[in-house]
Amino acid sequence: MSGLRSFVARRLLLGVAQTVAVVLLVFALTEALPGDAAVALAGDQPDPARIAAIRAALHLDRPAHERLADWAVGLLHGDLGTSLTSGRPVSTYLADGFGPTLLLAAITVALLVPAGFGLGVLAARYEGRLVDRLVSSVTLAVYAVPEFALGVLLVTVLALRLDWLPPTAVGYGTDLLGHPAALVLPVLVLLSRPVCSLSRLVRAGMVDALASPYVAQARRYGVSGAKVRYAHALPAALAPAAQQLARTIDWLLCGVVVVEALYVIPGLGTVLLNAVAERDVPVVQGLAVVFGVLTVVLNLGADLVTHRLVPRAGVAA
Amino acid sequence: MPPPSRAAKGRTGRFALGVAVVSVPLVLALLGPVFAGAPGPRTASFTLGGGHWLGTDFVGRDVWRQVLHGGRPVVLTALAATALSYLVALPLGLVCALTHRRWLEELLIRPLDVLLAVPSLLLILLVASVFSPGAVGLALLVALVNVPDAVRIVRATAAEAAARPAVEALRMQGETWWRLAVGYVGRSMLRTLAADAGTRLTGVLYLVATAAFLGVGVAPDAGDWAVMVDRNRTGLFVQPWAVVVPAVLIVALTMGTNLLFDAALAGSRRPTRGRGAGSGINRNRAGEPRP
Repeated sequence: MSGLRSFVARRLLLGVAQTVAVVLLVFALTEALPGDAAVALAGDQPDPARIAAIRAALHLDRPAHERLADWAVGLLHGDLGTSLTSGRPVSTYLADGFGPTLLLAAITVALLVPAGFGLGVLAARYEGRLVDRLVSSVTLAVYAVPEFALGVLLVTVLALRLDWLPPTAVGYGTDLLGHPAALVLPVLVLLSRPVCSLSRLVRAGMVDALASPYVAQARRYGVSGAKVRYAHALPAALAPAAQQLARTIDWLLCGVVVVEALYVIPGLGTVLLNAVAERDVPVVQGLAVVFGVLTVVLNLGADLVTHRLVPRAGVAA
Repeated sequence: MPPPSRAAKGRTGRFALGVAVVSVPLVLALLGPVFAGAPGPRTASFTLGGGHWLGTDFVGRDVWRQVLHGGRPVVLTALAATALSYLVALPLGLVCALTHRRWLEELLIRPLDVLLAVPSLLLILLVASVFSPGAVGLALLVALVNVPDAVRIVRATAAEAAARPAVEALRMQGETWWRLAVGYVGRSMLRTLAADAGTRLTGVLYLVATAAFLGVGVAPDAGDWAVMVDRNRTGLFVQPWAVVVPAVLIVALTMGTNLLFDAALAGSRRPTRGRGAGSGINRNRAGEPRP
């Protein structure tokens, strides 16, 4: 028991360190501009008034460590700063984009788990047969394809040629639930890579488990095939899958940015891309901290769950 | 000789499929610019016909010529980024695995654990919001994103090789550190690293193309398949070829690379730690405390 507790304590400590590091990294990357930051950020419109405004907004006349301290204290109070271009608080940007992104992520994860496990179990059930070879080859192939290329091809075929689905979510605003047809393509594209990796992991875990001595013993006792598969072999595949599910968050983040750009969905990814294009540093920083901390927390959760499932393996990744 | 097993036959099939799928975009990427010829005069945007085999793009350039030019930046940036990440990861990982100084290992590994916690595309977009990286900058960024995971794999593989009795024997025989580290440990890591390089290249291709699609590291009118997909999307209704052809080529390139490496390296994967299935970039993007 003390082993478990010390593991949890160490893992939590690493999580805290990672969170602090994410905040420091975000600050350092965006503040460590060569030369005069205000001039660099003014970019295409280097008129003196705008440069002065940026300098005042970012408090560039003060030393970096004071600015970092102010920013970090603000973060602790939930104050993410104000936008350089519009003067609105960064938190309102987050609030605006939160709905569509959460909806996309929720639907994707809700479909990801049954689809990934279903395909993995199916392939493992028919290991070496045609179904398995088909599932394995397709997941291996689709896994590597960037979302934007797949997405644009799906739009061309399903929306433009066959006219089954709307090509983008333009005109629906944030009310995506009212237009479920507009969600089909984005969710399909978002699912493409995570489903492949998850199903391959589940398949590998189950194939290993089905070949293990305890399964052979259960079969010798006359335990039915279905019970062996779902009650004994599947749980063995859960631990790596739980971790993969958390890793998927990283991909979902990549995917969400691309998919929102592709289908013109006004979510957090679009907010992030716009802020990057406008060099709106406070908004980029705020979003980066939120995304980074989310990733740290989810990975932490996955490691703890995995440790609970397979305590002897330490953190097997 | 026993007849080849079913799995081996499947592997040969997938290998052939991978070669077939990857060869078209790869040949276009490497030789395309040679055959592209001089740029013709610009005409109207998004037209079909008129002497243009695949029509014209958003600024009235010949799409086929852009396709011939557009593969090289994707492939070269990805190859450079993969090579660069190993250039950094190999010495770091080897030193970590072979040093007997615990503090040195901690010093090198801990910062990388932290970097692993930041999503890769986020890191790239963060940098892009303040700098405007060119192709070289993009290669450096993608390499940086890959270094932490590559170091972990190099270290794990080297540590396993260094723990073998053969190393002990070599050490007792008084062989030099160089011969031990490079001659034995380095050589026994080759197969694992080749497998890892394959999955890493797939992931790098994904990241390079996605970043270019989002406008990082490329000029807005660059001859680059990913940029073509992005910029010509507005004309998708009128002139789909300007989008479909580069998109299909990117799909073929990434798919073929993954199929090819998976088939070529099946059986040489590291058997440990359940890694075999989830090949790809971010298998391991979280700090894991060592037990």
